[in-house]
Amino acid sequence: MIQVNNLTKQYAGVKVLDIENFTINKGESFGLVGNNGAGKTTFFRLILDLIRASSGTVLINYEAVNKSISWKMITGSYLDQRFLIDYLTPEEYFEFLSNVHGLSKGDLEKFYSDFATFFNDEILGKKKYIRDLSKGNQQKVGIAAALMTKPELLILDEPFNGLDPSTQIRLKNILNEKKNDPNVTVLVSSHDLKHVTDVCGRIAVLDKGRIIHDITTSKDTLVELENYFAV
Amino acid sequence: MIYKWFLLHQWREMKRSSIWQRNIALNIVLGLLIGIMLLYLLVLGLFIDKILAELYPDGDPVKIFNGILFYYFGFEFFLRFFMQSLPTLNIESYLHLPIKKSSIVHYVAAKSVFMIGNYLSWLVMVPFAFKVIAPAYSTNTAVVWLASFVLLVFTINFFTTYVKRQLVNKPSIVGVFGLVLIALVLLDYFGVLSLSAASTFAFGQILLHHELIVLPIVLVILSYLLNYWFLKSRLYPDEVTVKKKQKQDSLADIKYLKTLGLTGQLISLDLRLIWRHKRTRSIVFMAPLFLLYGLFFYPNPAYQKMYPMFIFVGIFMTGGMMLNYINYCFSYESNYFDNILVNYKDLERYIRTKYILGISIATACYILTIPYIFFGTDIFLINTMTYLYNIGFLSFVLFYVATFSKKRMDLSKGATFNYQGMGASHWLSMLPAFLLPVLIFLPFNFMGYKTGGMLFIGALGVAGLLFSRLMIAFVYKQFMKRRYEMAEGFRE
Repeated sequence: MIQVNNLTKQYAGVKVLDIENFTINKGESFGLVGNNGAGKTTFFRLILDLIRASSGTVLINYEAVNKSISWKMITGSYLDQRFLIDYLTPEEYFEFLSNVHGLSKGDLEKFYSDFATFFNDEILGKKKYIRDLSKGNQQKVGIAAALMTKPELLILDEPFNGLDPSTQIRLKNILNEKKNDPNVTVLVSSHDLKHVTDVCGRIAVLDKGRIIHDITTSKDTLVELENYFAV
Repeated sequence: MIYKWFLLHQWREMKRSSIWQRNIALNIVLGLLIGIMLLYLLVLGLFIDKILAELYPDGDPVKIFNGILFYYFGFEFFLRFFMQSLPTLNIESYLHLPIKKSSIVHYVAAKSVFMIGNYLSWLVMVPFAFKVIAPAYSTNTAVVWLASFVLLVFTINFFTTYVKRQLVNKPSIVGVFGLVLIALVLLDYFGVLSLSAASTFAFGQILLHHELIVLPIVLVILSYLLNYWFLKSRLYPDEVTVKKKQKQDSLADIKYLKTLGLTGQLISLDLRLIWRHKRTRSIVFMAPLFLLYGLFFYPNPAYQKMYPMFIFVGIFMTGGMMLNYINYCFSYESNYFDNILVNYKDLERYIRTKYILGISIATACYILTIPYIFFGTDIFLINTMTYLYNIGFLSFVLFYVATFSKKRMDLSKGATFNYQGMGASHWLSMLPAFLLPVLIFLPFNFMGYKTGGMLFIGALGVAGLLFSRLMIAFVYKQFMKRRYEMAEGFRE
């Protein structure tokens, strides 16, 4: 699904990301952990072609992300609040997205009913702009927007941040569903090791821009990760 | 059509911003002013043939008119440079979606086409083309002439937006371009070359050879592409701010400021704020344009009779930069305004610091305008008195107005697609501050006491300076009253 070749990103001469060869296969649920400044968000931004790589390429379905846009058709993503158009109401935002992605009115209705529990009556029909929602509810809008198109590739940066406990559990259920779907590839980053081990089949540890561990999740993984970060 | 969505979103953004909702009164005034302007232009257009015949009874009106077109384009460039705000789009919300990048760029590059400024001159040009050119030549010629003119207006439009965009990116380019313009004006003034002859010739050729319309077409496409390429190469949001390795400047350890204690520290903080953000720094680079403003008015014999006009020029030159600073001094700090409210123990001193910095800026500008004494001691008197008015009176008015600012300014955001510069509404809201001294002056002028009037304006400033403690206390009180609203707006 995703191939990374000799990818680096430098700021002011300092390498903040340096990944030689790395592949994420179709259907995998991939988790990325690392301390602040390890390069998680930078990596995601490079995959989404939001920043220009200093060298190397990212391929999605064998096409370089900075050359073609066909990957955008199958990708759903939410990195941070800047993805939201905050002066729209959630409904207006979803309507816009459904239009951009070529979804029908019926699809949109289906989406609303599918996500009714996830939204928990706090998002739709409130006549509030996204900017007036709480941080957690903004996060919900962003995550739902990423899931809306039923993407083959889902990329979420710290999706659990700021969510209330119920929503965290709901999101975990959604991600677990995706994990068992062989057609969906998921990339998630998190600071919460427990969350990642719960929802990801494969976990990589990023440190100072390099991938230093690449583990298939087993029941020992959580302890292994905790030991690593305990230093 | 993705463009339809962009337009809809921007319309909603504007309508839903708290600034717009608050400023309905200002918008109505703006609408009225534009309406009056439209009316004037329409009348001018309808009677343009009679006016030209009256002014130049023996001349060929087409030739005369063609002769002023180059000046007009120059004038339009300057007007647009100061008045026209750049089209923006919050691209980060769209980049991850399946939207072609070129569509995003085309939208931002082409949006300036909708600015009303592009169409104002049509009110004069269309009647002129059909009332004067068509009878003298042919309707075809009139259409070609009009089309060339319109194309050139759009060229100026795209070119100005390009220059304005470069202002943030590479101020030196703008500087060089400004110098070339000034050189042209001076050469024309001293009769070395004649812009009017060149203008007559250029448009005369178009009247004779219709195929020359290709030239404006090429120009408009080129100027559009300049914008397109510029934006296209800056689509990655992170690059605009951190392209080069930033050397740490030594602003933090200016010795003199250290001896001033807390006040010095606050000044040094503001200096760093201005110098370390592209948007604020670009305003510093705009200073020469403010200072050179006088060159277009003082030597021009046409303005000699309009003495009150010079007051306007003087205020603008010695106070333009200060105005910019004071107007935005609180919004600049919107990212950490809560921090200021929580941590600064002596907020009155905070205001005083801003005042000191503001009048220092004005003083620097004033010193730089001293060479205008070359155009006469009269001019020197105007600059001096307006300077005193600026630092002693206008500055406090501006602070008072600044406490009403509620708009968050995210200085750390890349400026290419988010440029929030000064637009027409900004200048219009400042108009009363510029007009007041002119109003004060008019009765003196009427009675023949020009110098007396100027001295009175200066005295107003001196009085303000004498009571500066009281004035600052007053601004401080107002600031404390408004601080919650400000903080709320800045958090948005």
